[in-house]
Amino acid sequence: MTLGTLSAAKLPKQDGPFDGYDPKPFFCELLGAGVQPSEPLTGVWQRLQKLDVPTLLRRAADAERELFNLGITFTVYSDKDAIDRILPFDVIPRIMTAAEWRVVEAGVTQRVRALNKFLWDVYHKRHILNDGTVPASLVLDNRNYRPEMVGFDPAHGTYIHINGTDLVRDGKGVFHVLEDNGRAPSGVSYVVENRHMMQRAFPDLMQGLRVKPVSDYGERLLGKLIEVAPSGVAEPSVVLLSPGVYNSAYFEHIFLAREMGVPLVEGRDLVVENDHVFMRTVAGLAPVDVIYRRINDDFLDPEAFNPDSRLGAAGLMRASKAGRVTLANAVGTGVADDKAVYAYVPRIIEYYLKEKPILPNVETHICGEPEGLAYTLDNIEKLVVKPVGESGGYGIVVGPKASRTEIEAVRKKLLADPANFISQPMIDLSVCPTLTPGGVAPRHVDLRPYAVTGKDTWVLPGGLTRVALKEGSIIVNSSQGGGTKDTWVLEEDAP
Amino acid sequence: MTLLARNAEQLFWQARYIERAASLARIIEIHSSHGRANADDLGWAWLVALYSNQDEFSERHTDQTSRNVIQFYVSDVDNPASIRFCVKAARENARALRAIIPMDMWTQLNSFHNRLLALGEGDFDVVGLARTCGVIKVGCYEQLGVAESTLYRDEGERFFELGLMMERADQTSRLLDVKFAQLATGQAGAEGIADTTFWALILRSAAAYQAFRRHEPRGADPGRVARFLLANASQPRSIAYCIDNIQTVLEDLRRIYGLRQARGALERIDILNNGLLTAAEDRELVGRLHAVNDWLQQQLIALTTELGQAFFGLEPPQPAPTAQTQSQTQTQSAS
Repeated sequence: MTLGTLSAAKLPKQDGPFDGYDPKPFFCELLGAGVQPSEPLTGVWQRLQKLDVPTLLRRAADAERELFNLGITFTVYSDKDAIDRILPFDVIPRIMTAAEWRVVEAGVTQRVRALNKFLWDVYHKRHILNDGTVPASLVLDNRNYRPEMVGFDPAHGTYIHINGTDLVRDGKGVFHVLEDNGRAPSGVSYVVENRHMMQRAFPDLMQGLRVKPVSDYGERLLGKLIEVAPSGVAEPSVVLLSPGVYNSAYFEHIFLAREMGVPLVEGRDLVVENDHVFMRTVAGLAPVDVIYRRINDDFLDPEAFNPDSRLGAAGLMRASKAGRVTLANAVGTGVADDKAVYAYVPRIIEYYLKEKPILPNVETHICGEPEGLAYTLDNIEKLVVKPVGESGGYGIVVGPKASRTEIEAVRKKLLADPANFISQPMIDLSVCPTLTPGGVAPRHVDLRPYAVTGKDTWVLPGGLTRVALKEGSIIVNSSQGGGTKDTWVLEEDAP
Repeated sequence: MTLLARNAEQLFWQARYIERAASLARIIEIHSSHGRANADDLGWAWLVALYSNQDEFSERHTDQTSRNVIQFYVSDVDNPASIRFCVKAARENARALRAIIPMDMWTQLNSFHNRLLALGEGDFDVVGLARTCGVIKVGCYEQLGVAESTLYRDEGERFFELGLMMERADQTSRLLDVKFAQLATGQAGAEGIADTTFWALILRSAAAYQAFRRHEPRGADPGRVARFLLANASQPRSIAYCIDNIQTVLEDLRRIYGLRQARGALERIDILNNGLLTAAEDRELVGRLHAVNDWLQQQLIALTTELGQAFFGLEPPQPAPTAQTQSQTQTQSAS
C-alpha cells in the first residue's frame, strides 16, 4: 500500500471516539486534509478508535493525578498560598511523519545558524546594519541590545545555545515560523515528561510504532554545553542557575539539572573571585565553568545590569567577558528573537547563508514603518495585532474575533506607539484531535521544537505541542488556557 | 560529587522536619488513645512544656485547653511547631533537592503532603485525632523507608542522617525531661488512666515499649526507663544510639569525603559520650535527670551551631533549634 491509495473500504468499520470528529475547514495533524490518516498513522488511529470516550477520560484523569503527585507542576502564588497546578495534558498525541520532521529539523537548524551569525555581526562589524539590510535602530535602540557584548567572541560563535522556535501550520499543512525564542525558552521538560506519562498511561498505543526518543535531552544538552566551555578546562563543571523555588518554571530547572546530573544553583551559591566563578560546597569553593542560566539578562549580574537584583551573582559578566565562564544563552540574544527583527529573519538567512529559508515566516507588517502601519490600520479587522515586547500571549488582539471596542482600543494604541506593534494575517492554525468532556474534538495547536547548539546544532525530535483547549481559540499559551500534548516523530514512514 | 552547602543544609533539615513530625504524631497518637474527651480541659498542656513553646503558644492562644493545644501542634499550618508545618517544611526542602534525591523520595513526600492538605476539621477532633496522627506517623516512616531504600550513599546522605539523628536525640531528651518532671510534681497519677500506665505511655511515645519489655522482664521503674532511653545503644531512639550514629557520620565525612572541618563536631561528640557514660552509671540518675537533660539540650544546640558553621556556611550566633536556620531569601523572579 502506498501513501494516498487508501480507500474507506480497506479500513474496518468501527464505532469509536472519532466518529463525528470533523476538523474541517482546518488542516488536521492526524487526518491531514482528508478524512482518514495517511498510512504511517493508520495503526494509531485504529487503536484510538478501539477505545471509548469514558475509558479515554478515565485514563486522562489518572494521568493528571499522577502528574500532580509527581510534582510536575508550576506554582501560582497568591498573597498567602502557593498553589501547585499541572499544565493541562491531553492524552491524544500529535504525530509527525519522518518526512514532515525532516523539513522542520532542517528549517530550525538553518534559522538558528543564521541568528547566531546575525548576533556575531551585530556585536562585531555590523555589516547587516551598515548596509541597511536590517534597520540599525531596530537593533541598536532595542531594549534587549547589550553594548557590553560588543567585541566579545563566544565559543564557536554560538550565542543562542538553547533555542525554541514557535511554528504553526496553515490550512494546507505548510509550517510557518511564528516566533523565535532565543533567550531562555521554557517547556522542554514537558516534552520529556509528557512522553513518560504517555508510556505509563497508554502503553498499548505506541505498540509497533518506532517513535524517535526524547529522553536523552539532558545528555545531549550537557554534551553541547561542554563543547562551549572555556578552552583549557579538562573536565568542565556545568551548573544550572535558577532564580529559585519561587520561579514558576522551577520544575523545569529541577528537571534540567536532574537530567544533566549537574548542581542546581541559585545566585547566593555563586561567588566571583578574580574573574573566576565558584560555587559554595560543603568542601569549600568549587570552580564553575559553564552556566546554563534561567535568569534574564537584567537580573543576572547586579554589577553589570539591574543593581537591585538578588537573583544573580555579582561579577558573572566580568568572568564571562574574561573568558573564564560560559553563559548559556549568551547575554544580548534578545535582539535576535525580537518580534520586529523577526520580520527580517528570512532576509537574515539569505544574507549570511546564501540559502532560501526552509521554513517561511508568517507575513508580517512592521507598524514602525509607514507602509506597515497604513496596511495594518486599513485591514485591522482581518489581522492579528501583537505588541513586540510582550510574551505569554498577552496583549494580542485577534481582529476577526475582537469586538468593535477592542478594535478601536488597539487602533488608538497603534497610533500612539506604532513601533511597539506588528501585525500578521490570521492563520488557519492546524488542529489536532483532542479529548474534551464531550468526546474527541478538533483543537488548534502549535509546535515548539528545541534546538541545542554548541559546535553545531542538534534538534530534539518533535518538541512541545501546545493546544488551545477552548473551542475555536488560537491562543495556546498556558497562561491563557492552553495545554500540551505528547509529540511523536516517527523514525521512518515506510515499513 | 559536588554538594552545595545549601543542599547539604536542606538535606539536614528535610530529615529533621520529617523526624520531628513523626515524633509529634506518635506522641499525640499514643496519648490521645487514653481518654481525653473534653476539648476544654487542660490534659494536653504538658505538650507546650515538652517543646518549650510557652511564649509562642501565648501569642496565639490564651488558654492551654486541649482544643487549642491540638490546633497549635497538629493542624495550624502557619505555626512552625505544628505537624502540618513540619511536613510542609520538609517538602519545601525536598522540592529544592529534587535534582539530587531519588524521585521516589520526592513523590512519596509530595503525595503525603497533598493528603495532609486535604484533611479537614473532623480529622482533628477527639474521634479523628488518633487515627490522623497514626496516618501522619506512617507517612513519615514511609519517607524514611524510601530514603533508606533509595538514597545514594554519598556525603549528601550523611547530612540527611545527621539531621535525622540530631532531631531524634532532641526529641527523646525532651520527652524524658517532661515526663520525669510530671512524675516529680505528682501529675503522673493523672496519666495512669484506664488500662495503661505512666511508663507504658512514655515507652510507647518513644516507640520502645516491646523492646523494653523484652529487655527488662522485671518491669518498669523510673531508673530502668530513664537508662533505657538515655543509654541503651541498641534502642534506635535512645540518646546513645543517636550519638553513636552522628559520630559514625562525622567520621565518614572526615575520612571518606575529606571534610576535615568535621573535627570540631567530633570533639563535641566526645564530650557528649563522656557525659552519657557518667549519667548512665549515676545511681541517682532519676533525681538528676532534669540537670542531665538540660546539659544534653545545651550540647545538642552547640553541636547544631558547630555543624552550621563547619558545613553550611552559617555565621554564629545560631537561632534556637526549634526554628529552621536556613534563610529563604529568594524573591520571585521577574522573568
